[in-house]
Amino acid sequence: MHTPNESAALLDGIRVFIEPAHVRSDPDSCLNYGRDWTRLYTPNPLAVVLPGTVEQVQQLVRYANEHRLALVPSGGRTGLSGAAVACRGELVVSLERMSRILDFDPTDRSVTCQAGVVTEAVQNFARDHGLYYPVDFASRGSSQIGGNIATNAGGIKVIRYGLTRDWVTGLKVVTGCGDLLDLNRGLIKNASGYDLRHLFIGSEGTLGIIVEATLKLTRPLREPSVMVLGVPDLDSVMSLYHILRNKLELSAFEFFSERALRHVLKKGLHRPFDTETPYYVLVEFENPEQLHTDTALALFEHCAEQGWLADGVISQSESQVKELWRLREDISESIAEYQPYKNDVSVRISRVPDFLAEADTLLTQEYPDFEVLWYGHIGDGNLHINILKPVGMNPTAFAQKCGAVSEHLFAILQRHGGSISAEHGVGLTKKPYLHYTRDETEVNYLRAIKQVFDPNRIMNPGKIFD
Amino acid sequence: MKILVAVKRVVDYNVKVRAKADGSGVETTNVKMSMNPFDEIAVEEAIRLQEAGTAKEIVAISLGIAACQDTIRTALAMGADRGILVETEVELQPLAVAKLLQAVVDQEKPDLVILGKQAIDDDANQTGQMLAALLGWPQGTFASKVEVGAGTVNVTREVDGGLETVALKLPAVVTTDLRLNEPRFVKLPNIMKAKKKPLAVFKPADLGVDVAPRLITLKVQEPPKRQAGIKVDSVATLVDKLHNEAHAI
Repeated sequence: MHTPNESAALLDGIRVFIEPAHVRSDPDSCLNYGRDWTRLYTPNPLAVVLPGTVEQVQQLVRYANEHRLALVPSGGRTGLSGAAVACRGELVVSLERMSRILDFDPTDRSVTCQAGVVTEAVQNFARDHGLYYPVDFASRGSSQIGGNIATNAGGIKVIRYGLTRDWVTGLKVVTGCGDLLDLNRGLIKNASGYDLRHLFIGSEGTLGIIVEATLKLTRPLREPSVMVLGVPDLDSVMSLYHILRNKLELSAFEFFSERALRHVLKKGLHRPFDTETPYYVLVEFENPEQLHTDTALALFEHCAEQGWLADGVISQSESQVKELWRLREDISESIAEYQPYKNDVSVRISRVPDFLAEADTLLTQEYPDFEVLWYGHIGDGNLHINILKPVGMNPTAFAQKCGAVSEHLFAILQRHGGSISAEHGVGLTKKPYLHYTRDETEVNYLRAIKQVFDPNRIMNPGKIFD
Repeated sequence: MKILVAVKRVVDYNVKVRAKADGSGVETTNVKMSMNPFDEIAVEEAIRLQEAGTAKEIVAISLGIAACQDTIRTALAMGADRGILVETEVELQPLAVAKLLQAVVDQEKPDLVILGKQAIDDDANQTGQMLAALLGWPQGTFASKVEVGAGTVNVTREVDGGLETVALKLPAVVTTDLRLNEPRFVKLPNIMKAKKKPLAVFKPADLGVDVAPRLITLKVQEPPKRQAGIKVDSVATLVDKLHNEAHAI
């Protein structure tokens, strides 16, 4: 930490190369830019800097090296693991002013943009050009491409389109040393040694700052249909997954519990059908000119006969596609007021049933008084387990209790070879549990890599590992 | 009581509509087509009247190409009892639609005809009114609430000054506004049942109606592209630009 005089002098030094208006230390900016969607930490950054050019980012990183200033790169701050939190006097580096789309090539089907472009802006840009950027999630209107890449964001279309990693064909990054690297330059094939691009994807700002990205685009989904199905038990969810995946061109297979649904309904949405079931599955599939509706109907009949589902609806228009999606997508926001303890875990799909059964038993046993909500991208082996804080319970006590149960949950996860963080990243919240997924030898290699890109440990220190 | 509901197949509300290059109309190939949202509300209202025991039978009707059967099937899956398609390749304008509906009303003798207040493709907002005039029936347009009594229907309409309620004698024509109800989702088992519901197909000639267009479309074109906005850094620059470039002040 610096004395007020030292801080002022440090910021004045930055104002030499970045316009003073874009070096902010007012309390509002420090609060807003000092945190992500987690509410476990008290934001306390030294200041917020909003560079406008790659050169300014480089100057800033060099300056930070000179003065041993810790930097926290900042995108849309919609993260759920505290990776963008600045609570130890760090300098927040927001890329939001670098929000231009720089280049589009219809032959390459690629778009090059600055890191601060909002995800939805890329999606809209692609659509306006008859193409599609398929990485998609509920925070699309706030999250930024740089942050998506730094966390290797997943979301709701992974089952068909993969993660952010699969769509980044080029990256420009400023390393922790202040060097500008132009990685892979949009090439599809490039067998010329280590692909450093992939180290930066998912690095959570610990290696450097992503300043530009080239993203692949694809053709849009053709007239997707959405079904929401009422399912009696977790085993049936998996049975549905197997059969539907084989017969339909799935672009999403999502799941949520009745308890989760109730929170969304409280916010004004309507039940998709009157039959109440413990679990629901949302299935999206390409259905141009209703070509596959008959297949879907036959599958529905078959699955109903097997007892795998109790009821279901199918969209009749794009508006209904959107309405049905809201049942799943609005869950996270609808429970935000309960300050949920979020688990975002994954196992191989084949291990999902066993993991689910064991986790269910554990959580019922350990949290008899807490409301536990299940939802997630089950087609990717990814489950979000949210534990709601009882009204009136002290947040610290709640976090402690949840943390203790997490140890048990992660032990089960470890037995199944899963990951403690499927798509939210490690940041601060999952750092204590990293060892369940990565052994000490492997973490030492991670540390060694960081040392290469960031010898002075100025890039988002204390995130992922110490 | 018997209700006739008219449903139109239109370009889906969420599709970004594009003009054809030759200016002859709107691009509809490889474009998602759905039921006109206002008609969805009309079907929903009819079903609610049936669920309340007020209506006995709901007949869904669509007019146009063979693919309009899909739209009728959606209405049947929502809960309508049977369907009628008046099939024609001719582009149907509101007057022709109203005349065809009039002919079907003469055959079917419904107590109530419910339609969307307008279709989202041509935004004509004429069919319901024309139909009421042709039939000599009372009309309640832009309904935000429909209450059926003995031989009457009260229709609440959202007007500029608030809510206006008109009392109509049955038979009557009602057109639906957005806030009348929220249409239900279609259940998968009901789609299967809908396949077995009767759907009769007529030609305009069977009904003795001349559907030739009375209006000629000269050209359909995209609106002019809007210039992107800019940010200015001071009030002085703003005033200067408003004065010297935009000539707004």
